[in-house]
Amino acid sequence: MAYVSAAYLLAALLFLAYVLSLRSRQRMISDMIEALRQREGRA
Amino acid sequence: MLFGLCWALLAAPTELFQGVPQRIMYVHVPSVIAAYTALLVVFVASVVYLWRRDSNWDRVAQASAELGVLFISMTLASGAIWGKPVWGTWWTWDARLTTTLILWFIYVAYLIVRAWAPGPRGARAAAVIGIVGVLDIPLIHWSALLLRTLHPQPTVFRAAGPALPGSMLVPLVIGIGAFLAVYAVLMVLRTRQERTLQILAESLEGS
Repeated sequence: MAYVSAAYLLAALLFLAYVLSLRSRQRMISDMIEALRQREGRA
Repeated sequence: MLFGLCWALLAAPTELFQGVPQRIMYVHVPSVIAAYTALLVVFVASVVYLWRRDSNWDRVAQASAELGVLFISMTLASGAIWGKPVWGTWWTWDARLTTTLILWFIYVAYLIVRAWAPGPRGARAAAVIGIVGVLDIPLIHWSALLLRTLHPQPTVFRAAGPALPGSMLVPLVIGIGAFLAVYAVLMVLRTRQERTLQILAESLEGS
């Protein structure tokens, strides 16, 4: 059962890593939108 | 996915010869099907991108290649964990395993090209890798049929129909469906992100 648990856990961790990378890119997008808003506010 | 997982772990019968480790099949096979689907999408999107030079297709290819690498990594990792109790080794330079590892390297190279050469030049080079790389998939499939390998022959996708009993086939099909659904959702999210990033980068450069 240890091997089965390890395989399922590893698959879950890989999915999690990908979802976290998506979240981090989403944060970058939010930062860029904020930067654009600030530029427009100054102009 | 959770429903399929519970079925695979709790309700599906234990295989007679391999015992409990055979339940790794319910992750291993769906991940390889999702990987093949992702890489076929890379192939189609790359061909269309080279033909029309439409960056929307380039974004589809890029998003799908990332997911393809994710799913091949899952296949290789789950295969190694399955191999240890059944074959007595994590890894062997068997034809099927080696061709799958080559596929992983090809698409990692694709992502490296994307990261190091942004813009249309990198997109063109990556598209060529995406098209050539997919040729490895038939090699992987035929390697278990034509060469002597430790890896078992296909039990689901074969000319004579699936060799699995219904009690194992149903959770496997649910798993494949769940992995493909997750692929589709992540694909949409990633492609949208890449489009937004491009629009924002253009706006920031222009302002």
